[in-house]
Amino acid sequence: MIEPTIALYGDAFVKTATVLEDLVEKAQVRYVLLVDRKGFVLAHKEALWAPRPPALDSIATLVAGNAAATQALAELLGEPKFNELVKQGEKQGLYVEEINDLTLLVIVFDNSTPVGRVKLYGKKAAAALDEITRNAVVMPRELGIDKDFHKSAGDMLDDLFGN
Amino acid sequence: MSTINFANREINFKIVYYGPGLSGKTTNLRWVYQQVPQDRKGDMVSLATEDERTLFFDFLPVDLGEVKGFKTRFHLYTVPGQVFYNASRKLILRGVDGIVFVADSASNRLRANAESMRNLRENLAEYGLSLEQVPLVIQINKRDLPDALDVEMIRAVIDPEGRFPVFEGVATVGKGVFEPLKEVSRQVLSRLVESV
Repeated sequence: MIEPTIALYGDAFVKTATVLEDLVEKAQVRYVLLVDRKGFVLAHKEALWAPRPPALDSIATLVAGNAAATQALAELLGEPKFNELVKQGEKQGLYVEEINDLTLLVIVFDNSTPVGRVKLYGKKAAAALDEITRNAVVMPRELGIDKDFHKSAGDMLDDLFGN
Repeated sequence: MSTINFANREINFKIVYYGPGLSGKTTNLRWVYQQVPQDRKGDMVSLATEDERTLFFDFLPVDLGEVKGFKTRFHLYTVPGQVFYNASRKLILRGVDGIVFVADSASNRLRANAESMRNLRENLAEYGLSLEQVPLVIQINKRDLPDALDVEMIRAVIDPEGRFPVFEGVATVGKGVFEPLKEVSRQVLSRLVESV
């Protein structure tokens, strides 16, 4: 096992959803994603007015890769870390805030939204998510993942990848 | 370790294709992308140079389907094989659940295979892992080359103790592509069952 898994469920997931919804509303941004450092989406929210988002898996993977490369650059330069990452295009921007060693907060915003606002509410949300995700680093028992799960998954592997 | 999203009832696994430069890691992923039905895969992302050499990674999400109420997904990655991209390779290994080591059958790539396996061992060690702790299978690719080395000769330099399953492949035509992927997936799922 390389690192612990974050298992967002029950109260932790409700709290996370509330923080992300609040962030979308107050910062007036398109999409927000909570992703882990391995590039998996843990939770996401989008503004009601926003168009359908692009593939979230791809966003999470690229952001995690980018954050890992940025961290490696910081270490090369003798910095403990670079805290935030902002990318701005003609119409949209992307803001990434490191929540902790395990997770990242990703915000996609229109350029009509001031970056200062995005950062302000992004940092507040990150602080709240830090506590929630740290407390969610558990591997709960009795998930229903047992020998039957393995058998069923094996059958599906045959179906997808051939016998 | 897999990522479990209980709210969405999802289990995600990360499988990394590792091996020397030009051994066919991206070709494997492209074949999987071509063959898996549209509704069982996401977009394939390739961060490559202009001459199509992998610069950072290729990425392909594949949906296995719903298993006992959990949507089960595999995220497939390749690493850049070229020696000087080691910093990138190391980053991609973070959180890896399983590895397909793609070896090159060409007679002049025997040393490159051995060096890549050693590099894998070293990079895993930086995450506190050994080869024995991560499910690993070997695909010996390019078996159609006229100068292809004997499988046992290649195995002798990358897995002398014969610890890992070996599959022969010709990834350009899809031969031996799904077998190693299926085997490593099975091992990864077994690990999950053992860990809970």
